[in-house]
Amino acid sequence: MISSNSTKAGGPAVRIENLDKYYGTFHALRKVNLSVERGERIVICGPSGSGKSTMIRCINRLEQHNGGRITVLGTELNDDIGNIDGIRREVGMVFQHFNLFPHMTVLENCMIAPTLVRNQPRAEAEATARRYLEKVRIPEQAMKFPGQLSGGQQQRVAIARALCMQPQIMLFDEPTSALDPEMISEVLDVMVTLASDGMTMICVTHEMGFARRVADRVIFMDGGEIVEQAPPEEFFTASQNERTRQFLSQVLGH
Amino acid sequence: MEMVIVAPPAPGRLEDLKRRFFATPLQALLSLISLAIMVSTVWKLLNWAVFSAVFTTSGGPEACQAAAGACWSVIAARWRIILFGLYPFEEQWRSALACLTVVVMTVLSCIPAFWTGRRIALVWGAGAASYYVLMKGGVLGLSYVGEEAWGGLALTLFIFVTTCLIGFPLAVCLALLRRSELPWISRTTGLIIDGVRSLPLISILFTFAIVLPFALPQWLAGDKLYRVILGSALFFSAYQAEIVRGGMQGVPAGQEEAAMALGMSYWQRIGRILLPQAMRNALPATINQFVISFKETSLVVIVGFFEILASGNAAYGTGEWRFAYVEVYAFIAFIYFVFVFSLSRYGAFLERRMAVGER
Repeated sequence: MISSNSTKAGGPAVRIENLDKYYGTFHALRKVNLSVERGERIVICGPSGSGKSTMIRCINRLEQHNGGRITVLGTELNDDIGNIDGIRREVGMVFQHFNLFPHMTVLENCMIAPTLVRNQPRAEAEATARRYLEKVRIPEQAMKFPGQLSGGQQQRVAIARALCMQPQIMLFDEPTSALDPEMISEVLDVMVTLASDGMTMICVTHEMGFARRVADRVIFMDGGEIVEQAPPEEFFTASQNERTRQFLSQVLGH
Repeated sequence: MEMVIVAPPAPGRLEDLKRRFFATPLQALLSLISLAIMVSTVWKLLNWAVFSAVFTTSGGPEACQAAAGACWSVIAARWRIILFGLYPFEEQWRSALACLTVVVMTVLSCIPAFWTGRRIALVWGAGAASYYVLMKGGVLGLSYVGEEAWGGLALTLFIFVTTCLIGFPLAVCLALLRRSELPWISRTTGLIIDGVRSLPLISILFTFAIVLPFALPQWLAGDKLYRVILGSALFFSAYQAEIVRGGMQGVPAGQEEAAMALGMSYWQRIGRILLPQAMRNALPATINQFVISFKETSLVVIVGFFEILASGNAAYGTGEWRFAYVEVYAFIAFIYFVFVFSLSRYGAFLERRMAVGER
């Protein structure tokens, strides 16, 4: 269990040490090391199959790692179900395909976890939900069902739903990859606002403009390894690594 | 040049009929022949069932047999046996009330306003208790009537409702166990489901009614009726478990991941995210299973229970009304129809209601 003391204590938000992950015989993550400070904004990019999604899914135990250590907000992620639940309460996640609950309204989507997991009274949970729906600029859609919204709106609801748990860390797993091009910016704008509020963010994305604007550090992964990490200015203009330069030329080249 | 597109005028009703059924001479001929057959069938049926039928018991079986049409007097004379079976004649009002209790209980629990744990529990608790007290008696000044004397519609409804009531939660449990991550649990559950499904219902009923008492201690065996209901619930749950599992497989993996990422516990994920969506997917097949189970209650006659169909046999089987079996079966068919058709319409209502979020 995360006590309020340990979450407020110093130390990095996320520390990953010698992380190994296998899918059968496929070695998805190879001795990955990464430390994310509180309030830091990280953008992770890399070709598909490079292990970037797997890595952030390990942080809230959607994937179970096979070796190494993950420490989130001072709590080690192991088989202790109390630790896992505690970490999940403090770590929000936004998915590529939104994963909103289709049988609930937008408001209910935002209220269910705070009422069930944090035992918030319904009135309080609703007030919080409406505040975050305002923040992602769709307060008027509260009573609709997810299926009645556009992709961009759905993804903003998903962000609001995660924020309603008032997490300390937000994970974004390719949040704009499933969106039509004209809806990408409305989601990115919300993420930029979130970053300026000081949220600790770990984003897997190919939106290099976003990385340039908000990232403190850009990480390039390939073949299950972190190949290079640098502040955006240096990463985009003065990359040392051949694989990074090749990837960047493919992403930025057109 | 400006183009104006005008929709062709909608054909009138007569025009439409002409185009659909009388387009060519051959088609016209076939249409007329079909129409003639239909009219004559409907006329004969109406003539038999209404115009030439006998409705009163005044003339007795003899007047009835002489008439050209249906002999509905058999129903007027025998309806109490059909509805209540061997239940003591003087006490049949209790059986009627018990039927009503089951119907009211079922209707109430079909209304969305009652879908909270406490209300449903209250409805079922009160309903089951009053059914049991009414039927069995022995308290509140009601005379004692053993389960072996229960029969007719009251028994059919009781067996159906309790089968579903026990079988449905059991089915959900089996479906959840079958998708367990522990292989020995999922395999064992799979074996149980496939095992039960491989047996005919009759053999299960027979085993539970006749064979089980030899294997169980006296105090555990209970009345034959309850063993039969357990057997039928087990059979129901094996099929329904696969229907529920199918519904679960239709829920994208991302749904459970999202719930996990929000910190929801296993039971919260199952109860609030997975099952509601799975049941929506499984609804058409579930209604189907309910309908089949309702009609399969007639098989309990094999172990000596007089449910509605067997009571019907008894109603015309006693000498004087022997000729009127068609009318008795028509009456029973009508009762089945009322219940099953209501069930189907309720299923359709649920589908419409649940489709709200899918738009």
